[in-house]
Amino acid sequence: MPLGLIMAKIFVDNIEYEVPDGKNLLEVCLSLGFNLTYFCWHPAMHSVGACRQCGVINFKDENDKRGRLVMSCMQAATNGTRISIEDPRARAFRAGNIEALMLNHPHDCPVCDEGGECHLQDMTVMSGHNYRRNTFKKRTHYNQYLGPFINHEMNRCIQCYRCVRFYNDYAGGKDLAVFAAHDDVYFGRQEEGVLENEFSGNLVEVCPTGVFTDKVLRKHYTRKWDLTSAPSVCHQCSLGCNILTSERYGGIRRILTRYNGDVNGYFICDRGRFGYEYTNSDQRIKQPSKNTDNSSQPLSTEDALHDVKDSIFSKKNIIGIGSPRASLESNFMLKELVGENNFYGGIPKRESDLVHRVISILHQGKVKTPSLKEVESYDAILILGEDVTNTAPMLALAVRQAAKNQPREKAYALRIPQWDDAAVRESVQGQTGPVYLLTTHHTKLDEIATKAEYAAPDDIAITGFEIVQQITRLSQSANGDESSQSFTASVARDLLKAKKPLIISGTSLYNTAIIQAAANIAYSLKDNGKDAGLVYAVPEVNSMGMSMLEQKNLDDAIGRAKEGGVDAVIIAENDLYFRVDRDIANDFLKNCHHVLVLENLQNETTTKADYILPAGTFAESTGTVVNNEGRAQRFYQVYKPSNEMRSSWDWLNEIRNSISGVHAENFDAVVDEMIKKYPELAKVKSVAPDANFRKGTQKIPRETARYSGRTAMLANINVSEPKPPVDKDSPLSFTMEGYQGVPPSPDVPFFWSPGWNSVQSINRYQTEVGGALHGGNPGVRLLEPSNENKSGYFNQSTEKFSRREGEWLVIPFYHIYGSDELSVKGPALAERIPPVYIAMNGKDLEKGNLKDGDHIEITFNQNKLSISVKSENTLPEGIAGLPKGFKETTGIEFPFWGRIRKV
Amino acid sequence: MESLTNRSKPVDRRPMNLWEKIYLPAVIKGLGITLKHLFKKKATYNFPEQTRPFSPVFRGLHILNRDEEGRERCTACGLCAVACPAEAITMEAAERKPGEEHLYREEKYAARYEINMLRCIFCGFCEETCPKDAIYLTETFAPANYQRKGFIYGKEDLLIPFPEKENQPVTEKP
Repeated sequence: MPLGLIMAKIFVDNIEYEVPDGKNLLEVCLSLGFNLTYFCWHPAMHSVGACRQCGVINFKDENDKRGRLVMSCMQAATNGTRISIEDPRARAFRAGNIEALMLNHPHDCPVCDEGGECHLQDMTVMSGHNYRRNTFKKRTHYNQYLGPFINHEMNRCIQCYRCVRFYNDYAGGKDLAVFAAHDDVYFGRQEEGVLENEFSGNLVEVCPTGVFTDKVLRKHYTRKWDLTSAPSVCHQCSLGCNILTSERYGGIRRILTRYNGDVNGYFICDRGRFGYEYTNSDQRIKQPSKNTDNSSQPLSTEDALHDVKDSIFSKKNIIGIGSPRASLESNFMLKELVGENNFYGGIPKRESDLVHRVISILHQGKVKTPSLKEVESYDAILILGEDVTNTAPMLALAVRQAAKNQPREKAYALRIPQWDDAAVRESVQGQTGPVYLLTTHHTKLDEIATKAEYAAPDDIAITGFEIVQQITRLSQSANGDESSQSFTASVARDLLKAKKPLIISGTSLYNTAIIQAAANIAYSLKDNGKDAGLVYAVPEVNSMGMSMLEQKNLDDAIGRAKEGGVDAVIIAENDLYFRVDRDIANDFLKNCHHVLVLENLQNETTTKADYILPAGTFAESTGTVVNNEGRAQRFYQVYKPSNEMRSSWDWLNEIRNSISGVHAENFDAVVDEMIKKYPELAKVKSVAPDANFRKGTQKIPRETARYSGRTAMLANINVSEPKPPVDKDSPLSFTMEGYQGVPPSPDVPFFWSPGWNSVQSINRYQTEVGGALHGGNPGVRLLEPSNENKSGYFNQSTEKFSRREGEWLVIPFYHIYGSDELSVKGPALAERIPPVYIAMNGKDLEKGNLKDGDHIEITFNQNKLSISVKSENTLPEGIAGLPKGFKETTGIEFPFWGRIRKV
Repeated sequence: MESLTNRSKPVDRRPMNLWEKIYLPAVIKGLGITLKHLFKKKATYNFPEQTRPFSPVFRGLHILNRDEEGRERCTACGLCAVACPAEAITMEAAERKPGEEHLYREEKYAARYEINMLRCIFCGFCEETCPKDAIYLTETFAPANYQRKGFIYGKEDLLIPFPEKENQPVTEKP
């Protein structure tokens, strides 16, 4: 336990324990490792005392023999508290209580998706209530259609209220509620329909039983004990949330949250949870192939390597195009293979410059970038130009928690303990602390904003610079601009008033000035003695990592190819048609003459490739990615595919071996090579234990001890059991044999503990409930500001936005479902993609004699796009918004000036 | 050393006497035993013409059962597979679609269900653990086969046939 903490001495069943003060008894007992039953309490949402399941006997002092029954989650663990968990009266109470809760619970565990990882099952067994005495009819409910992600089975409900507490109070959802008349309590929507909140998938884990279950998993259902799982990192945005990816029968079955006390905590967003289906797509490339204009010839690995050597590496000028969605190691191996001068990052210059700018600010600046979890501790927030709900969803969830901090201070002043959720909420009354938004249009976080202003990208930056001036002015004169109600004045005032102000910005508008303005604001707050934080959202999972290796970008490569300086190109996990304009990509690939693509899904780039090698997605490969705060995190291969798919770095390693005979033995060897060449990445080595790590003499099994069907699963292919695949790249094994205890924190493949089969077993992997995992939270921060850094403020470099007659500045609009390259290829997520549109201010529409739903044609750089128009009155006049990454808008380089014509 | 059971007999190593050296009495004694067995009950059965009566708890080949209306009982809950000490059972679950209610009893069913009979030890744990009374061990032996792959029993081998007439109830194993 951390030093400097006030400790309290408590007695549990007459044994003395020392615990941190200010916690409730339930948390404390769970942290101490006791088996105490509970339902409504959740480590992230704290206590309400609704389910009465955690009853213990509380004694006044050592002479008190009778004691009284209390709910441990509603009782503070203060010095001298004496309780008994094992007292027969407490045991009888808990067993009786669960019997009452189970009165109407159906006996359908065999068909229930939660079966085998059900908190209710665990608690029922733990309480000792084994047989049902109730023989009467059970109450039944109608189940609702809740969209493509969540399955609803209301009969299983035990009324713990966790779902609405998470959905409404924690995640800010509006469309799930509890309806009740006498003993009929119903949790659902007012009418059937899609659950709108971006975090609805967490209901699957939050619900202690099977009311809300994973509908995508249901399509290929597998029990928890049958899944082969590996610790992984979500690849669907830049935040790098920790996930558990699970496989059976050669397909990914589901994604669960992997607790990381520094990053995502107990939750992940729906894009992360349900956006994995592309890994099972029939578009997957499974075999190396040689393509000519009208035919594709599959190759064996040996032939492919031989052919690649002969026809690609016989050329003189070979360049490599990296990718922000490929791991550090893959980008590095490509760089090694083609040489320093021939390696180009896989993103256009405008994006590359932005990411480089962010890296330099985080590295050389004087303000710390907090981890995702730390964001929740800030008490005043300013968001500059980023629609975080759609570009970095979990950041929005963290902002929602941070917004509660200031009003909560009032509750704490009334001596309401932090964990007493109902009382805290009663005192807060739904108020939010200072959250200021300065965006281009209405975003979902507006509902918690103190003030939201909308402006053109350049104007956002200018307002940002004005805020800096206001801060300087306010700090210099005690009563400077106190009275002014202008946006900039109130932002400056509230940021200065706060203890920990946080500035959030990002690359989504492709505007360097906004990034500089955000840095300036954070610097000036820091100079005023504030513990300021600065968070940038970047475009993709490994944007930061790739940019650390990249000196030249995609535009440089295109330029070089145009001049004829390229004979062959190797593209690693990158669809150029997603990055740049069609014609440019076409020309580039033609100018490169010979194209080798390592890719996981078929796309336009692969159709132009001479050779394709099947690269694994995050599920089939091992690697390191760097998230938006500069945290390097390891993701592991989940299973050994039966085909030729493997990590990109592995392919590139094999190619290098066939050409020059230099061969890296395994993943660790690649990492060693990398940090030797790039000492600034040295910390990557310590991200996770290396492949020869053993617990005792054992590897860490990816499969549970209960894994079933081992001798039958592959029997239909070959009766003779094959040797289990060997993982030379990680300390994990592909089998069920190995170390059965708590593995090192970066290598936790699943959460399980005796008696705790559900995700609630996370308690057993933490040093204390809700705290860090045993051995520290995974991930190593590569970018840390130092106090010596004295980097100066940026100068204001932008002009105010002025609209052009007859032309519109088209900026990107982001959608959690739709703007990501890969997740949209899964059928469940695809259902949630809105139809493509162009958003314009109502006044602009009126002028052009247009109304909602009219079709228009937009012309830009010889391109034409015909789409329907949507009014968005918060968008400034002269600006139009077009969804990024949709099928119709793939490869468009934002922002651009376009002409709009009615059709 | 003291013997463990007190039943061990010391070996008689004395030289044979005349009576024993003749051999004939011993031969006659032996023939007598053989003769006696001719009139005793036979210890073997003329399999396959004749089958041995099984004990009521005999565990043979598995079947997958249907309910009274001929619907598959198995819901692919996976309990048999996890109970199997030989790990010889594997299955893939699928969701019942509207219109398939007459085929599958519950909302989920086993799309694929396989038992590796080479691995199976006929312990009957699967039958014991089944919450839906779907899997039973019958009195049938696993028949011989020329190929190993013939011992991988799929759903088509295990599932009892669909009842011919709709109103005729399927006979379940008592």
